[in-house]
Amino acid sequence: MRAKPHFAFFDEGSKKEIRRATLKAVAIPGYQVPFASREMPIARGWGTGGLQLTLSLIGKTDVLKVIDQGADESVNAVSIKKLVQETTGVQTTDQTEEADLIQSRHRIPETPMTKDQILVLQVPMPEPLRPVEAREYMTKRMHSEDDYSGAWLMLFEQIVKYGKTATAADHPVYVNGRYVMAPSPIPRFDNPRMHQSEALILLGAGREKKIYAVPPFTNVESLAFEDYPFAVESFKGKECQLCGSAHVFLDELIDQKTGEPVYQCNDTSYCMEQLNSREKVEVESSYA
Amino acid sequence: MAIDQIHDLQQVYRKLLHSMSRPGTISSIEQETENMDVDFGCADALMLSAMVLLDAEVTFHVLSTKRRDLIEKISEYTSARCVPLQEADFIIVLQEDRESEILEAMAQCKIGNLIDPQQSSTWIIETPALSNKGTLLLTGPGIETEAHLAMGQSFEFWQARDSRIKEYPMGIDMIFADGSSQVACLPRTVTAILMEVE
Repeated sequence: MRAKPHFAFFDEGSKKEIRRATLKAVAIPGYQVPFASREMPIARGWGTGGLQLTLSLIGKTDVLKVIDQGADESVNAVSIKKLVQETTGVQTTDQTEEADLIQSRHRIPETPMTKDQILVLQVPMPEPLRPVEAREYMTKRMHSEDDYSGAWLMLFEQIVKYGKTATAADHPVYVNGRYVMAPSPIPRFDNPRMHQSEALILLGAGREKKIYAVPPFTNVESLAFEDYPFAVESFKGKECQLCGSAHVFLDELIDQKTGEPVYQCNDTSYCMEQLNSREKVEVESSYA
Repeated sequence: MAIDQIHDLQQVYRKLLHSMSRPGTISSIEQETENMDVDFGCADALMLSAMVLLDAEVTFHVLSTKRRDLIEKISEYTSARCVPLQEADFIIVLQEDRESEILEAMAQCKIGNLIDPQQSSTWIIETPALSNKGTLLLTGPGIETEAHLAMGQSFEFWQARDSRIKEYPMGIDMIFADGSSQVACLPRTVTAILMEVE
């Protein structure tokens, strides 16, 4: 016989500890609050930070959406969804608008989020200064002294080497004008969505034992120089081969037959929605 | 019916989080306080907020020296330890507390340090009825333009708070709970100005 797990997997003490850290994180936007990351049934580095936040937040009536790099059906997203669903019995969804809680790995959904939603991001490396300083004691000190020369220097070196800032993802941001924060490995395309966001954004790093947050309506500025302004990935002249959407984050794929690059929406549920709504229009018009 | 330690507290936490991330937003936890069957001699919302956040890992301080009963109740229900004001993670203020004592406590409480600003005290304050038609003007992260709040605290109270949050990121966070089961929060990032007229 299998014992029934406790609601939301955690014991109540663990939830309380995460909840306290979360409230502190919201009160100090962008600051990484240490917390006692629990052992989870998935390996550290596979979204345990996000999962722990989700489990501390979730209630019986919540609807959950989990995405992994834009996809609802990828292995990581499905197993996290299953774990939460089996221990809480909540409803899950693919639709961004229907969800109360959205746990995401490396993407912010294309559909704008509302004030009643919470976005939980999984973070592998919460420390933006780690590439320049290996010691936690020192990076904490740099944050306390508002010393972000290391972060600026990284971008400067990229400009020297490549002629532009070459952060593919996880481009550092200034939160509320005080803390430099790793926005988790979201593409630069998603950085502006954090600025003055309607929804609360919580970030959890399980392996690194940190929780941090961007409250709604908070200034989030991507680090950039005056002569090298911040720029998002450009998909000018390209559109999704399935739904035809432009102005969204596109994945580049290679057409096996022609060998030419083709583009496709990275956010699968958004793409599906576009296709469905178009089909509905087609059906309605042909019926008439 | 007794409080459901899992589901009721989860609901209250979500309301607290909602109000903390949107300062000035008043959340009602009436559905949950209705389940309370013990009279704690303070606002139900205050006790419930304490139950959400306190456990054996943290410490608290009740400002009033006359309320041994409340200290015992909180310890019994949450296993948190009562400690002197200067060490407390949570400071509980009741409506009957004198302002001079509150101001003095605010000058002495923990505000964290620059390396660990999270090691600060959180105040849980019992207030007269909370309303959004107040003379307190709030601006800061979490507020789109500005928010108004009324909770009956004096000019001196806000001055004392200002002096403890001016060295941001160090500072104190506040949770206000009123007698009709409403809560509102004020994190350290928010600027609160008491206006003379609405």
